[in-house]
Amino acid sequence: MSEALSAVTSDSRRRAPLAHRTAIKAMEGAASMAERAFLGKLVLRVDPAAGDAAVTGIIGVSLPTRACTSTRQGETAILWIGPDEFWIITAPDAQTSLLAGLAEAMAGLRHQLVDVSSYYTAIELAGPRARDMLMKLTTLDLHPRAFGAGQVAGSMFGRTQAVLWQVEADEAEGGPLFRLFVRRSTADYLWCLLAEAGREWGMPRQAPLAGETWQLER
Amino acid sequence: MFLITCPYCGPRDQSEFSNAGEAHIARPTNGEELSDEQWADFVFLRTNPKGLFAERWVHTAGCRRFFNMLRNTATDEILAVYRIGEPRPQVTTAGPVTPSGEAPIGSGNDAVKVMRPGEGTE
Repeated sequence: MSEALSAVTSDSRRRAPLAHRTAIKAMEGAASMAERAFLGKLVLRVDPAAGDAAVTGIIGVSLPTRACTSTRQGETAILWIGPDEFWIITAPDAQTSLLAGLAEAMAGLRHQLVDVSSYYTAIELAGPRARDMLMKLTTLDLHPRAFGAGQVAGSMFGRTQAVLWQVEADEAEGGPLFRLFVRRSTADYLWCLLAEAGREWGMPRQAPLAGETWQLER
Repeated sequence: MFLITCPYCGPRDQSEFSNAGEAHIARPTNGEELSDEQWADFVFLRTNPKGLFAERWVHTAGCRRFFNMLRNTATDEILAVYRIGEPRPQVTTAGPVTPSGEAPIGSGNDAVKVMRPGEGTE
């Protein structure tokens, strides 16, 4: 999943929110962090009973019916955000044609479809200690029996909001894989906070852009 | 800190939610016929009970949906959570409206309790 860490986009003028950061690793493969820049992200608001046929026809997978879950078809995933709100996550640059196709399939149906690819970025967190790092920042119940592969939850991480999605199961090679979708204005804050949470497993210290210090050292 | 059971997402920490005031306040449909006092009553005046209270909450950090809650404002006990549009559940509050021995008005904090003659004199 995390093969392409460098930003891939057709427009060379685009700059990723965390372009000033490089992928970092804790010691002995305990955890690793990287930005997945420019992923296609669409917000779809629709009554799931009415819109499911159109979505299945275009994406090839139906809307998740259970709360806080996701469905996936290759590179494209549909995340449950609310009872009538879904995020469609897809490969960089793939969202434009997907948006057009969905809009056409949903013509005449009461819905809202918005491209928010540039508004959010994704921080990818992997490794056996990734879950422990997240647990330090949120009140979500992240025990594996409560939060597993495919599950989605919006919550507070530190002082910012983000949507957490577990992509790969804990048993997968390299440990669980999480993606955190965070607004670009608070992405650097969350990046540094995550690195700080991984300090005990050897994550390198990340100095926040704004110059604040976490004051964990005396 | 307490847990709130979002009717869509399940139990989550209070920090994910925002309070949105009293529930079941219907906007008047005959707005042009109302006097200033009646408008002020709709816009500003809310009940502020010590005890059972129906209020709206929004799951800000999660599903971002509004829902209603019946809460005991004196004890923070959450008696029911229900979706917008659903009828208000009939709940029976166990025990007194306020913790035993507490003044019927004023703060629940004993340190700043309003005392009246004859009250709290054990």
